[in-house]
Amino acid sequence: MIFLTNEEMKLIIPELIMLAGLLGIILIPNFGDAKIRLPLTKIHLPILIGGNRFKSTSDPKLPNRLTMIALVLAFFFGFSNRVATGDVGNALTVDSFSRVFFLIFTAALILSTISAAHRIPARSNVKPPQESDSELLASRKIDALIDNRRQVDFHIILLMVGLGMSLMAMANHLFMLFVCIELASLSSYILVAFHKESAAGGEAGMKYFIVGSVASAIGIYGMSLLYLWNGDLSFDGLATAWAATDGIDPLAGIGVGLMLVAFGFKVGAAPFHLAAPDAYSGASSPVAGLLATASKAMGFVAIIRVLIGITLPVEGEAFWFIIIALISVITMTWGNLAALTSDNPKRMLAYSSVAHAGYMLAGLAAIGSGIASIAATKLILTAIVFHLAVLVLFKFGAFLVLSLLETEGRSHRLEDLHGLGKREPLIAGSMFVFMLSLAGVPPLAGFLSKFLMINGIVNASVASGSTGSVSVIGWMETVDPVFWLAIAIVLNSALSVFYYLRIGLVMFFEAPETNNPLKSATSLRLAITACALLTVILGFTSLGDSVLDIVSNAVETFIGN
Amino acid sequence: MIGTDPLTVLTLTPLFVGFGLLILPQLLPSKNAESIQKVSRNISFGVALGLFAFATYLSCKNFSGIDWLDISMGDYILTNEPTTLISSIGVSWIVGADALSLPMIWLTALLIPLSMLVEWDAKKGHLFHPLILIMEGALLGVFVALDLFVFYVFWELTLIPMFFLILVWGGDDRKYASMKFFIYTFTASVVMLIGILVMYFSTDGGASAGSLTGHHFDLIAMGAQETLIETEGLRHMVWLLLLIGFATKMPSVPVHTWLPDAHVQAPTAGSMLLAGVMLKMGAYGFLRIAVSLFPESTVIFIPLLVILGMTSLVYGAWVCVGQTNLKRMVAYSSVSHMGLIFLGIATMQPLGIAGALFMMFAHGLISPLLFAVAGAFKHHYHTLEIGSMRGIAHHSPYLAAHMMLGWMGSLGLPLLAGFVAEVAILIAFWMTFGWLVVLPALTLIITAMYYLSSMQRTIFESNDRHHGILPESLHGEDPTDVTWHENTGMFILGALTILFGILPFIFFDMMSDWSTKLLEDILVAALENQGVNP
Repeated sequence: MIFLTNEEMKLIIPELIMLAGLLGIILIPNFGDAKIRLPLTKIHLPILIGGNRFKSTSDPKLPNRLTMIALVLAFFFGFSNRVATGDVGNALTVDSFSRVFFLIFTAALILSTISAAHRIPARSNVKPPQESDSELLASRKIDALIDNRRQVDFHIILLMVGLGMSLMAMANHLFMLFVCIELASLSSYILVAFHKESAAGGEAGMKYFIVGSVASAIGIYGMSLLYLWNGDLSFDGLATAWAATDGIDPLAGIGVGLMLVAFGFKVGAAPFHLAAPDAYSGASSPVAGLLATASKAMGFVAIIRVLIGITLPVEGEAFWFIIIALISVITMTWGNLAALTSDNPKRMLAYSSVAHAGYMLAGLAAIGSGIASIAATKLILTAIVFHLAVLVLFKFGAFLVLSLLETEGRSHRLEDLHGLGKREPLIAGSMFVFMLSLAGVPPLAGFLSKFLMINGIVNASVASGSTGSVSVIGWMETVDPVFWLAIAIVLNSALSVFYYLRIGLVMFFEAPETNNPLKSATSLRLAITACALLTVILGFTSLGDSVLDIVSNAVETFIGN
Repeated sequence: MIGTDPLTVLTLTPLFVGFGLLILPQLLPSKNAESIQKVSRNISFGVALGLFAFATYLSCKNFSGIDWLDISMGDYILTNEPTTLISSIGVSWIVGADALSLPMIWLTALLIPLSMLVEWDAKKGHLFHPLILIMEGALLGVFVALDLFVFYVFWELTLIPMFFLILVWGGDDRKYASMKFFIYTFTASVVMLIGILVMYFSTDGGASAGSLTGHHFDLIAMGAQETLIETEGLRHMVWLLLLIGFATKMPSVPVHTWLPDAHVQAPTAGSMLLAGVMLKMGAYGFLRIAVSLFPESTVIFIPLLVILGMTSLVYGAWVCVGQTNLKRMVAYSSVSHMGLIFLGIATMQPLGIAGALFMMFAHGLISPLLFAVAGAFKHHYHTLEIGSMRGIAHHSPYLAAHMMLGWMGSLGLPLLAGFVAEVAILIAFWMTFGWLVVLPALTLIITAMYYLSSMQRTIFESNDRHHGILPESLHGEDPTDVTWHENTGMFILGALTILFGILPFIFFDMMSDWSTKLLEDILVAALENQGVNP
């Protein structure tokens, strides 16, 4: 069946809006005054497509605006309809869990669109270079023309990423999941390599594409093993078959393990994270922010769906517990150590995002340990999803600040941040809030999410310690190893404070290389300030509670399945 | 709201006004912004004065008719209806005061307008005075908050205005000093945070518990819980973690090194608040959380307290003798006096603890006076070197008078506030530790030594007003005496030092009642458990 029923249409209004936006970007900029003459008459009928474009449709800023409208509308409808539940066709299920992720993706895309408007700016009145122009002026004009030309491409691909991501969140079938991930991934490879005139951009895109494709191929191989095992790739079918199997079927076990490679690449887990820093630093900041937030969230949806949704045993330890626990500790430590030594703010943020993936994987490992109660499982999952949600604020916020710096062609060296506190107090202050939130300093949103995660792990494991023992060491010997995951998160957070504070240090202490204020990109500045404000507010007021309510309800529907 | 929840009003007003005055000009067109900036100094000062009047009214109202002995540990006055802030993790807005915090609240409300007054002419006044107002909100928040999360947030919030006060208005080496200040205190409070988190995880449910986590940060409920942390070793560890956080703030040797640098570089108002109130946060938190919640650990670690206190006292005083920089000397004398607080607590006598509390208060009056004098010295003579100038009694008689009073108060002259605290602590120390009292008593002689010698070398040593030695930094200009606003500020501080020296019972009575209750309700049982005869 190809056509959707009315109910199904209602469920996926946000995706339809995105699709409409996508088609709109393809069509609307091509509208012109072309006319066709009816044969044998003198009547000219306008057919819109072709001819000279109208002034309104030839505006290079149009694609950005259309994308913005589509995304905001989609976000609005997705938000107002976030508790709707139902199947769409055979491969998609809409529920509040997928809607929460949809909101995360869309929020990240909106921020990306705002910053792209200034990072890859469209200028309305650029004339082709004249012979009389100086070399510099001519090359600037050419750059501006190139930027104008590729507005459409960029925004189509941006919407494609959004479409792929939001569909993958709804997928209830492994194959659908993979197709949607590939739609999003292939588009994001292009976005990374979008600045093909710079060598770094092309290299980053190529690297990201090759590593990503290999990871995907391995994942698809794993999926094919699962298909061999069960013959049915729907999540329900897989979960039922998994529960019915006594022990672990080797085919299925290997299949899941191989799929973890693909998903691990998406979330940036060690040792599959190596391409991430290159990709982040080569890509423009709006794209890097997207990779660090939405793309990571996408990886976690897939991991949660497969590990928790399919393979989590009712009681006892999941077979992947040890592996995920090890990977999580290695990931967070590696990420933090590498971030300590990197001088490029974008690479630092990339490594910090690797470390954050480690924190969230530690939460997953605690769930898989088999000692977590239902309440603790729910708490940890809530913490993970909440963390992914607030990451959009402060991780992307940091990339927004870098986007603003990139408008003057800088952001690849720590020196570019020097003296930002003198040049732009408000922007530097916001950046400092983002850094503190990434480090997890109370009362910011980053603390709340990390705190919930630690809380979940401790709640799950602390009861295993013997209460009778007098000395700390005696208690430590008896406590379940899962407890040490919480300690690992705490120690790593302490380690991470150094490189986050270093950003603050150079912003407020070093002398700036130039005293000129940055470009007056009003919407970008507003977005940065809004992100900083929300980072504070979500961490310390009941608004954070409302967001947590939405997330925990969503998690409840997921666990209930 | 003001009637039912005065402490919330007291805390939030300066925060809102301060942030408003800082941010509003950024958002408005430049013409309106300038007109706001012109009045922001006056508004800040007016608000600070109003809050001081309000705090005085609150303290007066609660002096009369309250028998502090009726208020057991864990009961507070001026409390509010707890409001949930983050229900999912159990954070609530609970405020309250008792005999431990009320003097500190009054002291904070007093020092803020005075420090504004002393630096009335600060550069960038439209930023300076609102920042001090924010500082007031953060400090008051620390003293009134009864929820550990809120307490911690305010604790960290005090860093930010102080950091900028040092960084923007500080001396030549301000970058180094502000960075050192920030890193030291921030690291220490992160250690403290770990302790608080362990406490959080060991709370059992209750009305204020978080909907997702099942734990709470409520200090009162933590105190009411039978055993907060079941594993004894873990309890001691948490106590030590808390101690690291509090001792760094106080500061105690060996984590005191940020203080002299911060003080020397900070502007006068910053030094006054730093010494007057911020150091007391450490002692306050130590008594409020570590001693009240973990009495047994406190009893076990009495030797550690004695060692820390004694080292700070002796070392601080000894280092003072060798100082040539006025502010650095005063800073080390603060370290030395803070050592006495640990000693007072370690005595486990009502008199000793009350003496420690009064020391917090008296030092909060005297040390701002000392720093105001040192600041004025720097302002009018452009130097802080002791001995680079002599005979200021002739050139600046008012400054000399204030300096003399401050120095005398700090070295513990009878009838001044510092004396009461020192004598109370020393008597209690003698009652508990016997002849060990000789050491702190002798240290007071060292204190007298460095204060008197610095006084002699700056105020006197020249009877001829035309032949006093003037520092080179004046470049031959005539020195000026303090301005009227500096004079007013110092005069009030000096007068209060005398007032509380003659009439200490205004606050001393409630402090000794609080100490008695602390011992009766909490510490005696712990002492008996440990086999110590109380």
